[in-house]
Amino acid sequence: MTSPPSFDPVLLAVLSNRMDAIVREMTNTLLRAARSAVIAMSRDFSCCLVTGDGRLLATAEAAPVHVFGTHLQAQAMTELHPDLKEGDAFLHNDPYLGNTHPADHTILVPVFCDGVHLFTAVAKAHQADIGNSIPTTYHAAARDIYEEGALIFPCVRVQQDFQNVDDIIRMCRRRIRVPDQWYGDYLAAIGAARIGERRLKALADQVGVDALRDFVTAWFDYSERRIVQEIRRLPAGRLENTTCHDPIPGVVPDGIPLKVVLEIDPVNAMIDIDLRDNPDCLPCGLNESMACAINNTMTGVFNCLDPDIPHNAGTFRRIRVHLRENCVVGIPRFPASCSVATTNVGDRLVNATQSAFAGIGDGWGLAEGNTALTSGCAVVSGRDARHGERDFINQMFLMGGGGPASPVSDGWINLLIPVGAGLLYRDSVELDEQKYPLLVKSLKLMPDSGGAGRFRGAPGTEVVYGPRKRPIRVVSAPDGWRTPPRGVRGGLNGTLSADHVLQADGVETKVEGFINVELQPGEFIRGRDCGGGGYGDPLEREPARVLHDVRERWVSRQQAETVYGVMFHQPASGTLEVDEPATQAARLRLAEARG
Amino acid sequence: MSYRISIDTGGTFTDAVVADASGILAIGKALTDPQRNFAGVQAAIADAAGHLGLDLRTLLAATDVFIYGTTRATNAIVTQRTARTAMLLTEGFPDILVYRQGGKLNAHQLNVDYPEPYVPRHLTFEIPERIDAEGNVVLALDEARVRTVLQAVAAENVEAVAVCLLWSIANPAHERRVGELVAELLPGVPCTLSHELNPVLREYPRASSTAIDASLKPLMQEQLRLLERNLAESGYTGDILVSASVGGVMHVEDMIERPIYLVKSGPAMAPIAGLSYASLESAGTNVVVVDTGGTTFDVSLVRDGQVSHTRETWLGEIYTGHLLGMGSVDIRSIGAGGGSIAWLDAGGLLRVGPQSAGARPGPACYGAGGQEPTVTDAAVMLGYLNPAHFLGGKMPLDVEAARRVIEPLAARLGKSNADTALAIVTVANENMIKAIQEITVKEGFNPADSILVAGGGAAGLNILPIARSLGMRQVLIPRTAGALSACGAHFSDIVREVSASRYATTGDFDFAAVNDVIAALDARLDAFAATLARRGLTDVTRSLAVEARYAGQIWELEVPLRGRRFDTADEVAALVDDFHAEHERVFAVRDPDNPIECIHWRARLSANLPRGAQAPDTRRRSSPLAARATRTAYFGLLQAEACAAQIHYGEDLRPGDRVSGPAIIEEPTTTLVIYPGATAVVTAYGHYLCELA
Repeated sequence: MTSPPSFDPVLLAVLSNRMDAIVREMTNTLLRAARSAVIAMSRDFSCCLVTGDGRLLATAEAAPVHVFGTHLQAQAMTELHPDLKEGDAFLHNDPYLGNTHPADHTILVPVFCDGVHLFTAVAKAHQADIGNSIPTTYHAAARDIYEEGALIFPCVRVQQDFQNVDDIIRMCRRRIRVPDQWYGDYLAAIGAARIGERRLKALADQVGVDALRDFVTAWFDYSERRIVQEIRRLPAGRLENTTCHDPIPGVVPDGIPLKVVLEIDPVNAMIDIDLRDNPDCLPCGLNESMACAINNTMTGVFNCLDPDIPHNAGTFRRIRVHLRENCVVGIPRFPASCSVATTNVGDRLVNATQSAFAGIGDGWGLAEGNTALTSGCAVVSGRDARHGERDFINQMFLMGGGGPASPVSDGWINLLIPVGAGLLYRDSVELDEQKYPLLVKSLKLMPDSGGAGRFRGAPGTEVVYGPRKRPIRVVSAPDGWRTPPRGVRGGLNGTLSADHVLQADGVETKVEGFINVELQPGEFIRGRDCGGGGYGDPLEREPARVLHDVRERWVSRQQAETVYGVMFHQPASGTLEVDEPATQAARLRLAEARG
Repeated sequence: MSYRISIDTGGTFTDAVVADASGILAIGKALTDPQRNFAGVQAAIADAAGHLGLDLRTLLAATDVFIYGTTRATNAIVTQRTARTAMLLTEGFPDILVYRQGGKLNAHQLNVDYPEPYVPRHLTFEIPERIDAEGNVVLALDEARVRTVLQAVAAENVEAVAVCLLWSIANPAHERRVGELVAELLPGVPCTLSHELNPVLREYPRASSTAIDASLKPLMQEQLRLLERNLAESGYTGDILVSASVGGVMHVEDMIERPIYLVKSGPAMAPIAGLSYASLESAGTNVVVVDTGGTTFDVSLVRDGQVSHTRETWLGEIYTGHLLGMGSVDIRSIGAGGGSIAWLDAGGLLRVGPQSAGARPGPACYGAGGQEPTVTDAAVMLGYLNPAHFLGGKMPLDVEAARRVIEPLAARLGKSNADTALAIVTVANENMIKAIQEITVKEGFNPADSILVAGGGAAGLNILPIARSLGMRQVLIPRTAGALSACGAHFSDIVREVSASRYATTGDFDFAAVNDVIAALDARLDAFAATLARRGLTDVTRSLAVEARYAGQIWELEVPLRGRRFDTADEVAALVDDFHAEHERVFAVRDPDNPIECIHWRARLSANLPRGAQAPDTRRRSSPLAARATRTAYFGLLQAEACAAQIHYGEDLRPGDRVSGPAIIEEPTTTLVIYPGATAVVTAYGHYLCELA
């Protein structure tokens, strides 16, 4: 754990930033060159750099759910392909071999400097379609990978000498819906990885291979020192938390109970996470892949530590995740389906882990965030009458997703879901409507939906949209319709999610757990995602914050008075003000009424 | 004799630079007067005029180009002192400015409050209407309800109105009608319509730029109109140009219409100056440009001879600030400068800034009642600034006042006054180093590979130790460093960009439609060129580009066009080739079988303002160089070490002279502190090229 004494701290800073800058340039390439909105607008992809010996090195602003675990894929590449050479690229979407879920097509490019495989440049993107049996990349109802139906590539060579292996491309074009869109997205990912390759080779020419090797060692050691300091600050103890994924009628009728156990050992500066006491793999698409079981619990931990700590193989030395075979949150046993591994159960793991930290005491941990990918984030498909009945398929990103309150702040409005971590971009309504034959009727935040607390959960979002001239199919698997994001330390829960089909005649039909509907012109679908949970007692919320919430319509006056106990008066032609004495009285009264 | 004058109104100082065809002649400086803007402008020009032996009126009467730059708009946004603005959005979509575009810098940081929208929700109003992607009316504009909404808007006593309706870029009828109703029901309240200001697809960037523009109108329109009037009263009859965020200058009438272009006005000229000076000295094409004023420290970058531009300018932090929504020079600013206040935080840690003493009262040593210790006060204590010769002796500094404000801080720190002053400068340096790293190291650019051009009145105080920490070996400080941005204005062009959307695919190219759209853009530029010609500006260049993409892509790539119309299939094929090449250069891949979709057509005109080549400094030394004096100055990292610094006046130095540290060069508008171990060489053009050991 000591750096080579010669390694210059300024060069350490420059090179670590340089690695992140390369990841950012890869990210920008993939964003700007891609064709599906899910990638080019919502940024449901991540790029990162792994060392040649399979350790995660640089992630910049990548989504943890995508990149923590990428090293498993890089390791699979070197193990399966001893003949690895420059000009190769690999396509990997195999959830039994280190990938997250089949929808994340991962491109791996080994980078050779002075003839040595020094790095692997990785671009992982959630595809608009992967050839599943129904038009969605989240097949929650699939009993196994056969019913799921995706083409699986167990780290297959897709480029040799910088040229496509056309057999693979042709296979994809035969089975993936809207093949031109897939091919454009594939090219963009190849471009991103190749940009990373170019930049790394130029860097090696500039500073030399030996300096880069020394940098890698020094950087991992520095990162480890940072997390060691952070864990030493935590009290020793065991934290246990349970939660539940909501039922999917006909698929998992009782829902999925989940349990996370954390052991914090500040003396040895280690955190152990145990997921072994959980159900076996289930006959549905909600099983975690190994990568997701690891990265989602790690995310929950990192959310509660100093966010400035680098996140790489050096940091990971201090967190052990204990998994078992054939477990819904462990190592999936083939052919269990991991179609939805990155979100639903994954979100519950993040929530359960971060809210467990609140058990340490006031000032620690976080409340829970929205768990519903509503119809506002569904995979939508159909034909576009405006362009010669052209097929289209894409995942929308119109919802908001209320973020959890923290010990010092209100929840983040654009959280999306805990695994999304607020990193993903939103769709532009105009761009969605230009690219796909949809009409968005409304899109807005909902007052009173954030869980009340000393710090308030972020409000949820309501989005309403529908088809234009032709029917559209909407597929999604929203959780959070029965078990809301929980508040902690006296904070209240956020609101539940709800999806409704709105018929032209005004009849509203609720859809629970799994949406797979065809909307006719004149019909709309309405998705309401969850508000985030609150942190601490609402009666302790600063009245000035409540006043601001009321003025800005985040909280109704009624909720302010009855839940927060903040009373107001309004001068004849003036703006609303807090009535201090009435507030004190109301808060006393509310506290007494609790008994 | 015809002169050109440029002005840069910063938070603390107003700079005036007077030039003619042979180059820069004189620099004037005066304190900015936040209440009476023109007072500072006038005083700065009068100061410069004095150097030329002229009075203000005579100089102005002999001037034919006047270029104005100001940080006022940027400051108003940053300090939230823009107009009380109402935002009008399509019904059902009230949260466009709240949501922004999503995204976050750190996945694991969940302990910060979500930032407030540019226009609060209680001043956001919904307009009953809807247009679809093809421009068809889905829901007709309900004028009766719009009137009711506008009555509610009026009841909020707003000072400006921004209107951004969905798909107004496809069919502006509703937005235009709402604009008419605003004019009718809120007479005199300035209003910005999104399709007129910034007709881009995507509702967030368009709404954001619309809100920013409207919110600047009351303040900036008044200021610019007043400037026109004041200049006329002072005898100036020529053109008034204003430096714009795009890195060129615009006519004042255009700026009054679109004050959003005033964002970063002034600082946007600094990289142009930096590049010009660096090329003059053949110092390479990678330049880091810093400009240190009294209140802000601006950093910009020239990479391979190109000033860095960005279409993603955020006011504040990326994702959480407010998106400008339009292209601009890439400038990063932090609150740090000579006026930055030193203070102890709750944990007893010494902090410098971001609060600034500004122009009034200014640092304590200005003797205008400042009670807080600032970086400038520290520089006085350290012997860097000459109390009797500051600004060429026009503004004597009060050393006692500086001591009075530093002493209590020293007592609390348990350090000597000199050590405390040194600590203030060191902490200020760290803030500036971090700001330079943001735009260089964080973008994967090693500052050690470039030259640093430093400007601004306070730059010379501490730029050498900053450069050294970043591994930079060369620092160029122009003799005119005190007014870098104002100098840059003299090197800039008049620019005008026009654009139009017209879809065309190379798979089935519509020659007539494309030629029509290009001809229409050309006609708009013709009209603009004609107004320039009437003003005697005929040295004009034009360029034309298309923003295009592969079929099905979402983002476009800008590709310059080779000609100004398309007549043959070969010309289209050439465009396709250029696009493939550009796509491969930027994104490392090409898709040769895919047709190209052309989306936006952009035409740009730049008019060179006449200027001669900068003349070398022909003055030669007749007697050996001798310092004017020696003064005790303090250097060191943690412990102040007293050194006898040689004091030179800039006017005594000649090309080829070398001044080694510890030494101080005093120029009328800036002071250059040569630290021990560094050497300044006077270049052939009379600038200071500092070499660090």
